[in-house]
Amino acid sequence: MSSWRNLILRIGEKCPEYGGTNDFKDHIETCFGVVRRELEQPGSDILTFLLQCAEQLPHKIPLYGTLVGLLNVENEDFARNVVENTQKNLQDALEYGNCDRIRVLMRFLTALVCSKVLQASSLVVVFETLLSSAATTVDEEKGNPSWQACADFYISCILSCLPWGGSELVEQVPEEIERVMVGIQAYLSIRRRVSNVGVSVFEDIDAPGKATNEKDFLEDLWGRIQDLSNNGWKLDSVPRPQLSFEAQLVAGKSHDFGPISCPEQPDPPAALSGISFGKQKHEAELKYPQRIRRLNIFPANKTEDLQSIDRFVVEEYLLDVLLFLNGWSFLDKEVDDRKECAAYMVGLPVPFRYEYLMAETIFSQLLLLPQPPFKPIYYTLVIIDLCKALPGAFPAVVAGAVRSLFDRIAELDMECRTRLILWFSHHLSNFQFIWPWDEWSYVLDLPKWAPQRVFVQEVLEREVRLSYWDKVKQSIENAPALEELLPPKGGPNFKYGADDSDKIELALSAELKSMVKGRQTAREVISWMEGSIIAVQGWEIALRVVVQTLLDIGSKSFTHLITVLERYWQVIAKICPDQDKEIMLINEVSLYWKNSAQLTALTIDRMMGYRLLSNLAIVKWVFTPTNIEQFHTSDRLWEILRNAISKTYNRITDLRKEISYLKRSVLSAEEAASKVKAELELAESKLTLMDGEPVLGENPVRMKRLKSSAERAKEEVVSVYESLEAKEALLSRALDENEALFLSLYKNFSNVLMERLHGLLGNNMLRKSGKADAMAIDLEDSSAMELDKESERPQKSSSNGGRTGSGYSVGEKDQWCLSTLGYVKAFSRQYASEIWPHIEKLDAEVLTEEVHPLFRKAVYSGLRRE
Amino acid sequence: MALLFKDPNKISAYRDRRFPGTQEEFEHALLTSITVYVGNMSFYTTEEQVYELFSRAGEIKKIVMGLDKNTKTPCGFCFIMYYSREDAEDAVKYISGTILDDRPIRVDFDWGFQEGRQWGRGRSGGQVRDEYRTDYDPDIGGYGKLVQRELEAQRQLVDYGTGSLASLPPVMVPQYGRHGGNHGHGGSHRHGGRDYHRKRHREDDRHGMDISKRTSDHESRRNSDQDSRPEKNPRFRESGDSDDDEDDDRKRRH
Repeated sequence: MSSWRNLILRIGEKCPEYGGTNDFKDHIETCFGVVRRELEQPGSDILTFLLQCAEQLPHKIPLYGTLVGLLNVENEDFARNVVENTQKNLQDALEYGNCDRIRVLMRFLTALVCSKVLQASSLVVVFETLLSSAATTVDEEKGNPSWQACADFYISCILSCLPWGGSELVEQVPEEIERVMVGIQAYLSIRRRVSNVGVSVFEDIDAPGKATNEKDFLEDLWGRIQDLSNNGWKLDSVPRPQLSFEAQLVAGKSHDFGPISCPEQPDPPAALSGISFGKQKHEAELKYPQRIRRLNIFPANKTEDLQSIDRFVVEEYLLDVLLFLNGWSFLDKEVDDRKECAAYMVGLPVPFRYEYLMAETIFSQLLLLPQPPFKPIYYTLVIIDLCKALPGAFPAVVAGAVRSLFDRIAELDMECRTRLILWFSHHLSNFQFIWPWDEWSYVLDLPKWAPQRVFVQEVLEREVRLSYWDKVKQSIENAPALEELLPPKGGPNFKYGADDSDKIELALSAELKSMVKGRQTAREVISWMEGSIIAVQGWEIALRVVVQTLLDIGSKSFTHLITVLERYWQVIAKICPDQDKEIMLINEVSLYWKNSAQLTALTIDRMMGYRLLSNLAIVKWVFTPTNIEQFHTSDRLWEILRNAISKTYNRITDLRKEISYLKRSVLSAEEAASKVKAELELAESKLTLMDGEPVLGENPVRMKRLKSSAERAKEEVVSVYESLEAKEALLSRALDENEALFLSLYKNFSNVLMERLHGLLGNNMLRKSGKADAMAIDLEDSSAMELDKESERPQKSSSNGGRTGSGYSVGEKDQWCLSTLGYVKAFSRQYASEIWPHIEKLDAEVLTEEVHPLFRKAVYSGLRRE
Repeated sequence: MALLFKDPNKISAYRDRRFPGTQEEFEHALLTSITVYVGNMSFYTTEEQVYELFSRAGEIKKIVMGLDKNTKTPCGFCFIMYYSREDAEDAVKYISGTILDDRPIRVDFDWGFQEGRQWGRGRSGGQVRDEYRTDYDPDIGGYGKLVQRELEAQRQLVDYGTGSLASLPPVMVPQYGRHGGNHGHGGSHRHGGRDYHRKRHREDDRHGMDISKRTSDHESRRNSDQDSRPEKNPRFRESGDSDDDEDDDRKRRH
């Protein structure tokens, strides 16, 4: 990389490019000196690179703004280009709804105001445009309040600029800024407060009313900005390098730019509530998601004592680094982007420590609902890297976060619990599985459904999967009793492995094994199965012998399983032709692999891949009576259910991708065809002299070639169309199957919950009240209160380690209901986009009046439906 | 995203000498591939461990373990095929350099698995890098192959029981010392209930008499390693006794 690039890229960092110093003023002067000379060279791409840096390293925006300001004094055109390009990029970002880009570009424009490159009034025009669009959106008469998410986002963008340029703006255009602030206040008074129902990491079980009284994210930001304003716009977290260059900067010309425009919202739904409103609201929240939901996991005396606005700014910095340095350059081994990510997170331009805030921010992303911007494994990696980058400080902070989350695990959303289990086991596997397990050995005294106990058990299960039993056993040496929570050690449980098994079945199994060994084909095995087992012993024995034996042949590894399925899936398909048999098949799998949750899940997953099992059969099996009994004590069945749904979802996603690809192919094939056709027609219309005689058409060789390529192009169009139609037919079938899947899932949930909720809370149900929702809250309170009483005890006793008796008094049935309802909510939330299109049918067939209000509440809050 | 740091002209420093095309085709293959190569694995890591870790980046289609040409046992690498490019990218981004089975593994894009690539390319059957290694690493088969051959030659000359091998005690696992503490290794329980050996026998059985010489060498080396360090990871499962063909078949099929 040339030196000017490195200087722009590395500005503000303690690095060799800047002689290892950390003085912003020096950095800017050095960089300015080089870039100024470089600008004299024709054809330099400084502009593009500078804008890229400003967009992708937004925590350095004040430095870039000042740099452009200094260049503006000498090279007005360059600065004008910066302004114009930024405005164009912002306009594009608004059109596409590219939230991150909108936010960052507005911050850059603010920095350009601070360095006198842009007129403050131009930025105010941007503010006013966004404000007016937002106000229109939430207007019930003229706008479309279902798109409030977009309006809120615009307002948050305006407010987010103020930490970077509040004092300059107030100084330069006080009245205009006052007008904007009044406008925002007016906006806040007409919009609806955004509820956290369905997406909060912790259930607000202790205070049901709290959720509605609490400020939402926008009101919170507004409060912080007001604090900032009251504090004379002074804050510690935003560097202001422009102050050192004020005398020079004023000499530059302040540029102006034309108006921008915001895209129109879609037409409003017919009613301000109901299904069509809900669908649009869901779409809007998907497109303009809330960036962070703060997790307050550390006690106040531990976290850094920051001004409220500084906390906001540091969160912005961290989220931006996570976003823009998301590990891409792994392609290039010489630059380890991941280290860059950790290094930037550790080296933010702020004069205070922020390890706790950093941990809270990362955990808030890992646990963000409905989903984090990246796969959870990314945050796992970031935490690992930070533990290595700050070995003295960060591991202890992470441990503190784990303890705090563990203490409140009973309140934690089910989806978040799963993510936490996966993260924690993976994290420990990267640090020799070391953890002070003795702190948690008290969970053995808790009932087997206590969330803390289940958490420990599931973490150990995942550790064993990532490693092996003996290793994990050894890692709990300091709490040997926890061995009780380890998964069983044994391998497969082959029915015909012991001598005491049925002699006839044993012989048949041996015969099948030798057939497989003798490379008999699937067809031969089928005819043997039909003749020698089904005809003689009956279907049930045939199924058991064949499935057990084939599983055993494929038991050595994942690849062995796939191989045996690939060779003999027809045999299994033959013996399991309908849903009842499929359920028997799953039963055999779960018997054979009763010692391994992983292999049970994996085998079922692969069988679904070979379409030996339908998702409906898996759902039905999960809800069979013996399985239901495990809902609250283990993740085993939920994993299988999650896999079945996500595999269905992945298939649909793949089809959608293929279809959009094929649609583009159709367009290009048609284009090509019409081009060839035009060429052919042109050639046909030409007169050529043949043997002295004029004939229509060009020379025959070329004509023949053109004709055949026109023919081919036409065929190509037809064939692409055909594959598009085929895929569309597949997709429509898949969507029907998906609808059937969710109907079945919800019916099953509703049924099992109905029985148990009635059994448990039957008396409450007799309270006839028209308000299902209010009742639902009441009902939840009763169990919530018990839970709350208990949640205090673990916290106290965990510090002194002494704990006797049962420290968790939620009864088994209560816990069963809480867990199952938690999963109803989690599934609804995760697949909300797939469920909303089928909501009418779901309402008609499942969510009828008879349904239990708590079940309805769980579904509704998962879908964020009002 | 951060294209800023990247030299866009360089995709991978590593170029597979056996790739049957031009450099551009190689790079195109890497840019579109849904297969990743995983290196620096322990020989004892099972497919199920790989599955558990790598499925966190996305749904896995297939795993192909790299095997020693001669012993047909894992030799420290594998290929993983995903269903989507995005998931393969995430595996490379998020898993490379992290720990699996106590070892920092390397994950790279691969140009696509083909039959034959599961075999180690070293002259002794394993990976080339294991030919020349001179350190002792019990997770990846003790000493490098050349050193091993030398040791065995010495034994054939001098040793009829407790000879020269005993005078060359293997260095104990440096990597654990680095992490401090006696955590994670060396417990006597690690000897118990291990079916790893049986697996070795079974695998060896399959290949009959013609390689019995090597097998016995191999076994004796195994045993000598065993003295100094317990074998690892009993998750190699033993199942029925008729899966040998399956193994062959699978290798032929790819």
